[in-house]
Amino acid sequence: MTPGLDPALDAEMLCYCTTLTFGELRAACAAGAWPPANKERTGKLCTGCQGDLQYCLRALGVRGPA
Amino acid sequence: MSSDLGALMSATFHEAGHAHLVELVHQKDRAARRQLASVRLFAYDQDGCPRLDQTLDPGQEILDVAALLDEPARRHGRLLVVFDARYDPRIFPYRPHHYGYLHRQDSAVPPLYYAVNATLGGVPDRIGAVALNNFETYLFLDRPMTGHHAVAVGNLSRFAPADAEVVSYYEGVRHVETVRLAPKAHTEVKLEPERDGHRLRRVELKALFRMASYVVGRRAGGELVLFDHLFTYFK
Repeated sequence: MTPGLDPALDAEMLCYCTTLTFGELRAACAAGAWPPANKERTGKLCTGCQGDLQYCLRALGVRGPA
Repeated sequence: MSSDLGALMSATFHEAGHAHLVELVHQKDRAARRQLASVRLFAYDQDGCPRLDQTLDPGQEILDVAALLDEPARRHGRLLVVFDARYDPRIFPYRPHHYGYLHRQDSAVPPLYYAVNATLGGVPDRIGAVALNNFETYLFLDRPMTGHHAVAVGNLSRFAPADAEVVSYYEGVRHVETVRLAPKAHTEVKLEPERDGHRLRRVELKALFRMASYVVGRRAGGELVLFDHLFTYFK
């Protein structure tokens, strides 16, 4: 379990444009495979999830873009 | 985990004392009624505290927002109302947009019909929305303003606070006000109708990520005469 990111969120939507869930983000980060195929534009379209994406990447130990 | 369903999070604001109806989907074809796969409604007070979480029947065409939210809005003030929808992209190749009807009870002012602000999702790449949509603009009509204007802005994030910059333009004079919003918190930033003898011409909203936002106009007595989302273009 990753501190700072509740697994109860796994089924919830993070990016509404690419339909990436918190669980998919967690799995991709754990596998060292962020971003997964077809999810490369996560956070870059409507931008609404960008703040949460950066928060989660930090919580999962992955550096986001500068 | 994710599915083949598309997702849209749209948002509006509700204050007690207004008739407020919202279509869950704007129907375009009488012969082929379309509906979302699912939709949930959330409502938050100005500090971002949840005041309602309700699963809606996606077959319901018109939602009476006032019937659901007048009571919590009386207790907690203006509410940020969030529609969290899933839909089949084959049914809605375009974003499943929807509209609202707003009218203060016992008011002689005409009702307002507005597009509900599509804040997250709705596949902006597929619908050709290529402009940055966390920078938004509203142009005011070229006539003297009466009453009070404001930008209502809400942060739909789950974790991230946001600094929202409201920039108003008075001919060549620029005025900036920045508000920090916790997740799901919301506020109204008042706009002066004039500064230094110049009339308000334009307002912009800038943030790191897209916010739920509307331009709001009220008469001196508080009656709504404008409730419109901003636009992602610059003139």
